Amino acid sequence: MDDPNDRADRFELIAACEGAVLARLANEILESDPPLDVLQEPKPQLLMQRVREPVERRPFNLGEVVVTPAEVELGGERGFAMRPGKAERAAFSGAIVDAAIAGGHDRRATMTDELAAAAERREAERRRAWNESRHTAVEFETLEDDG
Amino acid sequence: MGYVAVTAGEEIIERAADLFEKQRLDGDAETLSVVQLEGQLERLTAQAASEGGLYAPRLAALAVKQAQGDTVEASFLLRAYRSTLERWDETVTVDHGELFATRRVSPAYKDVPGGQLLGPTKDYTQRLLDFDLEAEDGREGEPDDPTAEWDVADEDPETVTNVMAILREEGLVEEPAAVGETEPSDTTRTPVTHPAGRDEVLQELARGETGALTALGYSALRGYGQVHPTLAEVRVGRLPVKIEHPYTGEVVTVTDVEVSESEAVVPVYAKRDDPQFAFGYGLTFGRNERKAIAMTILDASIQLDGRDEPAENPEFVLDVIDGMDSFGFIEHLKLPHYVTFQSILDRIRSIRERTLEGDGGANSGSDPAPTEVETDD
Repeated sequence: MDDPNDRADRFELIAACEGAVLARLANEILESDPPLDVLQEPKPQLLMQRVREPVERRPFNLGEVVVTPAEVELGGERGFAMRPGKAERAAFSGAIVDAAIAGGHDRRATMTDELAAAAERREAERRRAWNESRHTAVEFETLEDDG
Repeated sequence: MGYVAVTAGEEIIERAADLFEKQRLDGDAETLSVVQLEGQLERLTAQAASEGGLYAPRLAALAVKQAQGDTVEASFLLRAYRSTLERWDETVTVDHGELFATRRVSPAYKDVPGGQLLGPTKDYTQRLLDFDLEAEDGREGEPDDPTAEWDVADEDPETVTNVMAILREEGLVEEPAAVGETEPSDTTRTPVTHPAGRDEVLQELARGETGALTALGYSALRGYGQVHPTLAEVRVGRLPVKIEHPYTGEVVTVTDVEVSESEAVVPVYAKRDDPQFAFGYGLTFGRNERKAIAMTILDASIQLDGRDEPAENPEFVLDVIDGMDSFGFIEHLKLPHYVTFQSILDRIRSIRERTLEGDGGANSGSDPAPTEVETDD
């Protein structure tokens, strides 16, 4: 998920970006009062998480995850975003950012830089978590009975 | 006999609720924020989310705050909230191997590929009260980071090899029969009927009440069952949540959820001439290894489909495992049952009168013979 110009990558970048960053970007986009239609109101919904278990390799429903999707049309370009949790403002902002980048907004470069920076921060957190975990790697030794 | 409505002053009920709320606010201590609960009592909020079958950490923290720490009440609140939401869709099925593990131990394999990662745990320390934590109260500034002095490496994150995959490579685990991809049942929409499918069993166990799973799993270990597993591995980490993008159809990741996972290898001795392995699996939202392990034991036990031991009887296990069900039935007993009780009183009195009439009052000074009375609750 590293190319903000690719729709699928951008979806993941927006999903992972801090809500405050998205809100700021969306406000900047709306400053010029572009035509905006809300195609899907941002409101919490459910995703049923499906997992394939290892014994029989069959899927089962683990449980539901709260997400907030939103969809807009900005200047004739559609934008879609989905955020984890109950996050109406972030989802709405994300959909606006998605549409603006897709439509070649003047501030597109700034927005893609912000999304890339958010992705880097997230990757750094993941990397730190992994390396801290590796720092607790242990080799258990079996105490053999020589007798 | 049905239930009979009773009335009481709504205002009185509100007063009682106000008193309950006052208990949380009483005293000089500052109120706990939802953010604090989410960050510092994560295992409590994770349990509520797991038993509610709803992953939403912030909302789980809110539910725990509202329920004043009662996890089953909190999970009830989460399920009630869930019932108000539309379902966007099911996720793309993720393989459990996609778990990004930050803790992984294998009690079965000492030299498991990928290594034993203890991760964040106090499993190997003594359970002693830490009075230093009291000194944190009211301290200003950022708390000390106990890992601040660590000199950690800077490696690329990896996913560790799953032990079940290793056993399969060695031919110790039978390959499952190739079956077409079937749509799993969803017990939140279709009630479980017996015999329950494996997908239904796993879903019900995953949202079961931690204490109930632990007790039933423990019963198998205490001899009320055949299953005494060796855990292949226990993992804690994050599992991706994926959907198909509505515009492109590509599979994209929305977020990830913290889960606890456990796999067990279980020698089964029921058939003396054909000893075999059984396998158990446990997966649940949040950091709750106890529940994941108990789920593993119960999954393996249920596969034996026995009728003599509680943990091996799928109908019994699935009937009693859900926190909402048990909470509701147990706690409803404290609600008014005036008509039910009046009915029982009437019958008891009637029986006593008939008994006294029958013996001509000869036993009037002693208790009547014990009589079984049926209740209709």
